[in-house]
Amino acid sequence: MTRNTVIRAVDIGKVVPTAEGNLSILAGVGLEINTGESVAIVGASGSGKTTLLGILAGLDLPSSGTVELAREEITALDEEARARIRGEHVGFVFQTFQLLASLTALENVMLPAELRGDPGAEPEALKLLEKVGLSERAGHYPRQLSGGEQQRVAIARAFASRPTVLFADEPTGNLDTSTGQKIIELLFDLNTEFNTTLVLVTHDSRLAQRCGRVVEIEQGRLRT
Amino acid sequence: MNASIVFRMAWRDWRAGELALLLVALLVAVGTVTAISLFVDRLHQALLLESANFLAADRYIGGSNPIPEPYRKAVAARNLDLVDTMVFPSMIFAGVDRSQLVAVKAVEEGYPLRGVLRTALEPFTRGEEGTDIPPPGEVWLDSRLFPAMSVKLGDEVEVGLARLKVTRVLIAEPDRGGSFFDLGPRLLMNLADVPSTEVVQPGSRIGYRLLLRGEDDELDALEAELGFEDSSGYRWVDVREASPRIGSALDRAESFLLLGGLLAVLLAGVAVALSAHRYARRHYDHVGIFKTLGATPDQVMWSYVAVLALVGAAAVILGSIIGGLLHLGIVEVLKELIPIELPAPSLRPFWLGATTGFICALAFALPPLIHLRNVSPMRVIRRDLGSAPASQWLSYSAAATGSLFLLIWYSESLFLTFWTLVGAAAVLVLFGTLALLLLRGGRVVGMQAGSGWRLALSGLQRRHRENTAQILIFGLAIMLLLVLVLLRTALIDEWRSQLPDDVPNHFLMNITPEQVAGVRELLRKTRRQGPIYPMIRGRVVEVNGIDAKQWDARHRHPDDPGTRVGSERNLTWAAHVPKDNEVVLGEWWPSNEERSLVSLEDEYARELYLKLGDRLTFDVAGVRVDAEVASLRRLDWESMQPNFFIIFSPAALKDSAATYMTSFHLEREEKIFLNRLLSAYPTVTVIEVDAIIAQVQIIVDQVTQAVELILALVVVSGCLVLIASIQAGRDARVREHALVRTLGGTTRLITGALAVEFAVLGTFAGIIAVVGAEVTVALLQNQVFELPVQAHPWLWLIGPTVGGILILVVGLWGTRGVVSSPPMTVLRGADD
Ligand SMILES: Nc1ncnc2c1ncn2[C@@H]1O[C@H](COP(=O)(O)OP(=O)(O)OP(=O)(O)O)[C@@H](O)[C@H]1O
Ligand SMILES: [Mg+2]
Repeated sequence: MTRNTVIRAVDIGKVVPTAEGNLSILAGVGLEINTGESVAIVGASGSGKTTLLGILAGLDLPSSGTVELAREEITALDEEARARIRGEHVGFVFQTFQLLASLTALENVMLPAELRGDPGAEPEALKLLEKVGLSERAGHYPRQLSGGEQQRVAIARAFASRPTVLFADEPTGNLDTSTGQKIIELLFDLNTEFNTTLVLVTHDSRLAQRCGRVVEIEQGRLRT
Repeated sequence: MNASIVFRMAWRDWRAGELALLLVALLVAVGTVTAISLFVDRLHQALLLESANFLAADRYIGGSNPIPEPYRKAVAARNLDLVDTMVFPSMIFAGVDRSQLVAVKAVEEGYPLRGVLRTALEPFTRGEEGTDIPPPGEVWLDSRLFPAMSVKLGDEVEVGLARLKVTRVLIAEPDRGGSFFDLGPRLLMNLADVPSTEVVQPGSRIGYRLLLRGEDDELDALEAELGFEDSSGYRWVDVREASPRIGSALDRAESFLLLGGLLAVLLAGVAVALSAHRYARRHYDHVGIFKTLGATPDQVMWSYVAVLALVGAAAVILGSIIGGLLHLGIVEVLKELIPIELPAPSLRPFWLGATTGFICALAFALPPLIHLRNVSPMRVIRRDLGSAPASQWLSYSAAATGSLFLLIWYSESLFLTFWTLVGAAAVLVLFGTLALLLLRGGRVVGMQAGSGWRLALSGLQRRHRENTAQILIFGLAIMLLLVLVLLRTALIDEWRSQLPDDVPNHFLMNITPEQVAGVRELLRKTRRQGPIYPMIRGRVVEVNGIDAKQWDARHRHPDDPGTRVGSERNLTWAAHVPKDNEVVLGEWWPSNEERSLVSLEDEYARELYLKLGDRLTFDVAGVRVDAEVASLRRLDWESMQPNFFIIFSPAALKDSAATYMTSFHLEREEKIFLNRLLSAYPTVTVIEVDAIIAQVQIIVDQVTQAVELILALVVVSGCLVLIASIQAGRDARVREHALVRTLGGTTRLITGALAVEFAVLGTFAGIIAVVGAEVTVALLQNQVFELPVQAHPWLWLIGPTVGGILILVVGLWGTRGVVSSPPMTVLRGADD
């Protein structure tokens, strides 16, 4: 592992039990990602992209193999410690936005700082909302926002935790082409500004092309 | 997460309406328990006070010798009021030749400690209440002694060697009770006059009582300190012992109120569990997001625990206030119906309500919230990663432990708790299966049905786990309500049937054989005729040829004060089994039986070690009579009919000189009839128990009202459970039906489908409730209330019908938003 490596996955396997016996979703996946890199994970539907992303981000545990994230072997930690690493180093953007419906846009963006107990959460969050162009909608609830607007709030929230790595699972999957395009621009602008490492799963070839590296996955294995 | 974010979380959830149901459920738990216990607490105290009248005291120490000095010392050392009384039979004389056996009661200043004396200046009137007792040198006489002895106020009567002046008519005294054979009309005199009568001689039959009044704690402590043993010759008597009829009415009523309270707690617990589960389920996604944002499992858990603590604290404070107000409302509404003054409540009900609230929160609401710590952050990308099944176990065992604790703590009865839990466990296992089977059966029927039905039945199928749970909960709530209704009906019927309006309240004794025809005719003419029994005094002298004293000595310790085989008793004979008697062993004799046989009361026989086939030799008025024990009977001591331990076959006593007795009913305003009767038959003895019976009827009426009130309260909390349960299942239905509407389903179709779904759930729940109620009621009647068990065929029709309609109405009302709001709102807002 070089000084620059933020993510290192070694020989990842994932097996899940199903009614018809064990199902192998990932096998022998190895991957290294350096600081500041942007990596797109592509592949057919059902090939295991989301599963891999979840494991790299420490949301889920592999059945075999190890993952290091920001110099910590997260596969050896307990859930408490993994959560702490997520809070410190990881940001997420999801296909389905995942905003809390009972919170306003501003409150959603403030959430990471609140969870950490940061006092200056609000001005910071307002600044981020301005960056994504939604400062007038700060007091609105998610159900009052369009899909593209919701995704912009989600992006603001992802950067609010000042993450080392930003994970995104099909961030444009639920949006029309032009809105998707705007979201892509926003994501890469902020990525440059905050000097974040970007790992994203996508079917969108334009989005994949914007990334520094494309990794293709096929039936649970990396194609090299 | 720090405190401020917890507050903000709670506030946001509150604003979003997420916590309202949980808070309401907890409020119901705290509020009902507080209100019910406040009311029961006060009513209980009032009833005890009322029934203390039967003793004219809170407790008394009784014996056939003067109350010894150490007892008096112990009483004096405590903060108690005390009064001495003496009761003894005595012949009194007036003029030259008039005499009468009376029951003398001698009392001192302060008597009665509870209740009041009624006296008058005219016999057979209602009289008025007073607080004084006869001053020394004076006596007060029962109304009917005036005609019987031809005396009037101001005359003198001789009691023993003393001449005492008659100054008032005694109409009623609180502790008139006692057995029917506490013979003779009452003469009330001052205790200070007793020595001058010189009737107290060694061997005379005298009952001494030391009446006590004071706080329950003091009295209980005194009882424990004195530690009454059978061999001491003295008895510690409370109202339960002195009047078993009232005692058992009170016991049953208390059990019922207790049970009602228990059910209210359990129902509220179910409502709390349901709303906490719903709250937790709606927060799975939140927790998933929190976790991706770096919240640790501990942080998640503690913040939800803190939210719950906030809600719990709010529920306890508001619930206590609501419970207090509710109970004031109840008292206000029932003020007319409860003539007795309610004493101030103790603090226990508030304590009970608050603790109940916290336990409900801990046992029913906490497990699903704690379980939120285990929600996987992967849920954010894969919805099915919701809950780990391990938590079900935690939920159930916590709920079971919580219920158990509440039941034991609240009822202070392991017994009641045990049966309630056995019932609940049986219901859950049996009916879980039954509900699944019913749902499966529904599918087959649904195949041929129209589209509204198909939609409903497929919904029932798809969510069969949730629906099974819901049927169980509906069923349980309806079952508990049915149990209470059935028990209430059984209890009240029992009380009413024991004390019908025309229950015999006067007994006529000492009717000579020559008078029988005349008395019967007089009673028949005034339509009061009851069965007439012969009666004669007699005692057992030999058992199987063994002397009666030796028989006793052989079977029991000499200090044992229990029944002696040789004691004098009232004997009778009969050709047929008397009403309310049941032969439990042996055979009743044919009406033409020639042999000399005898039938004994079952418990009497057991106590004296007598059995079927024993030969008893009696001394009946100086004549020896041999008889063989042919049967054992059980009889209803509460029936208010003349009852006999010993009944002979008619042949055995045909030559003896018996007198006769009978009983009849007389209203208070008809009492002048006694004068007519007594002037025609002056030697006949009348025993009046109408005052006692009237008092019992008042108490039973009050208890009945309390029972019905509790029932109403439990019905309310049962309905809240139904609402909570429908709310809990609402989310899934709302989403599903919104989808159906986007696919073109009309409002009518969806309303129809919902109606069918709720009606089916309700009917199934009703079936389950009926089965459960029948079993539980049978168990409770048998084990707790000691009432006869009966089936309720009408229930099998009513249960499912009422269940179906009830759930249909409550269900449609609870989901009315589903049908009326545009589907887009539902789909957009569906973050679960
Ligand atoms: N917990 C699980 N249980 C059973 N099967 C699973 C589980 N998780 C993933 N799978 C299966 O593993 C395969 C890979 O899933 P994954 O979601 O990673 O695919 P994907 O590449 O993200 O697909 P898409 O592009 O459609 O999102 C799929 O066939 C999925 O059904
Ligand atoms: Mg995917």
